Amino acid sequence: MRFRTRFLLWVVAGALLPYAAIADSRDVTALNVSISVFDPGVPDDRSLHRDLQIFPRIRDVEAKFLPFVLRETLVATGEWGAVRVVTEPDDAAEVAISGSIVHSDGERLELRVRAVDATGRPWFERNFAARLADEGPRPGTADAGSPYQPLYDGIARALQEARQQLDGRELERITEISLLRYGAELAPSAFGQYLVEREQGEYALRRLPARSDPMLDRIERIRLTEYVITDTVDAKFRELHEEIASTYALWREYRRKSIEYDRQNARRAEDTRSDAPRGSYDAIRNLYDNYKWDRVTAQERDRLAIAFDNEVGPVVEAMEARVAELESWVDEKYAEWHRLLEALFDVESELNKPGP
Amino acid sequence: MLRGWNIVATCLVLAACTPAKPVIDEQMMRIDGDMPADLSGSWERDYSRGDDVNQVLRDIYYYLSRTSADRAYTTRPGPVQPSSRDMQSISALARLAELITRPQVLTISQNDREITVDRKDDFSLLCAFYDRVTKGTESAYGTEICGWDGDQLVSHLVLPDGLQVTHRFTVSADRQQLRVVTTVSSNTARVPVTLSRFYRKFERLPPDFNCIETLSMKRVCSTGEIEF
Repeated sequence: MRFRTRFLLWVVAGALLPYAAIADSRDVTALNVSISVFDPGVPDDRSLHRDLQIFPRIRDVEAKFLPFVLRETLVATGEWGAVRVVTEPDDAAEVAISGSIVHSDGERLELRVRAVDATGRPWFERNFAARLADEGPRPGTADAGSPYQPLYDGIARALQEARQQLDGRELERITEISLLRYGAELAPSAFGQYLVEREQGEYALRRLPARSDPMLDRIERIRLTEYVITDTVDAKFRELHEEIASTYALWREYRRKSIEYDRQNARRAEDTRSDAPRGSYDAIRNLYDNYKWDRVTAQERDRLAIAFDNEVGPVVEAMEARVAELESWVDEKYAEWHRLLEALFDVESELNKPGP
Repeated sequence: MLRGWNIVATCLVLAACTPAKPVIDEQMMRIDGDMPADLSGSWERDYSRGDDVNQVLRDIYYYLSRTSADRAYTTRPGPVQPSSRDMQSISALARLAELITRPQVLTISQNDREITVDRKDDFSLLCAFYDRVTKGTESAYGTEICGWDGDQLVSHLVLPDGLQVTHRFTVSADRQQLRVVTTVSSNTARVPVTLSRFYRKFERLPPDFNCIETLSMKRVCSTGEIEF
């Protein structure tokens, strides 16, 4: 409640400050990037989960955890503006990144990643995969993202290469369209006129609003306000990452061991393919034991998944509750801003009409 | 007399050629409402009841000596000794059946979707229903399916070389006793080996601590609620 009051005061105070054109003072190559929480890649058919060794609760955690590792990688390059992890796809983002987990078993991670800019121009959509280095992750350490660092570096390189294809004018256009798309969502009567949507969801500028347009000023302030909340949400992802990183590294280490046990089981089955006569006790005992050890390994995997969930579940739930609270505040305010802006636009349009 | 044995032999051959009824058919793999029986609980072996494996072997020996197809080709009166190969195969099945049915305690957990039978020194039997239909567990080493035959839970494991292990779980009306009938069969043995085991329900003492498994701290216990 205190946060909310402080926040409203900030918005009101901000509205009294003189307008400053943000686009004028920024480096257009340093586009802002929004990374939405990944799709966990869990099939709807629950009966497949065991066969595919997919643990839905853990995939949910990974879907929130892995985007943050990508964010850290992009921030470390120093090539981008603000890089944020968001819970829902942000269509008006200057660069929006979405992804889904194709494979994650502790030994190999594969993500399908899509990047698109605010004009609706797709930058790329492809799979990135990495296998753990031989030494594996270091359990108990917080650098849980690093074992797959080549994957994140690959995404960062792909983004830079896609950006290099664009000239300064095109990059500037991305920032302009991003703001106008945001404005058009919030106040369609005022901003809908500046954009034209082409086929396949691409946007082009019809014309730009006047620099002195008070509606543009308001939209920028509101967007900044929303960014403050987004940054708070982003901070929650950072906290989540810090809190569960070492447990996640442990989980991955166990999963890696489990894969090793599978290989040992296979070797054991091969090695113990005895010369004992068919139907003898040794022969049938071997057949039974091969199945038994395979099941014991799978059941141990299930047990570890439950242990992981027991440990990180409360942290994730607390984070989700806080994020939901913040987002519901934004949704509430968004509706209010939408109503106010539309009303203001009507009033100002009426005032600007030439007199009789 | 000889003609009579020929008829028996022909019947046996015919029976062998008739497609066998599957241990678990599609109907058994589907439930329409609640689980037909509640098997949950901790079960302790009742050694006063159940089959003695030596007696089972003796019965099989007697059965084979009476019904052996070899008899059809002999005119000697009285039982015919089953071949040593037959008895070796059957004895192997009996040893495996005894090994599998050795656990002293079974811990069964059950909810409206899943039944798990935990056995010491062996893998847990799992019967999970997805949208009211069970799905088998398949691996390079074998296939496991389960289902309900009336109020009997049936678990059926098919391994290479035609080796099959079937468990039938039946709980008494007062839910105090559990019977587990385990059948082990193989392509290499002429008859399967079946062992019945009986279990009595027992109540585990309520734990003094609440415990959960974690990854980083292993088992965490507390007298109160566990918080991280």
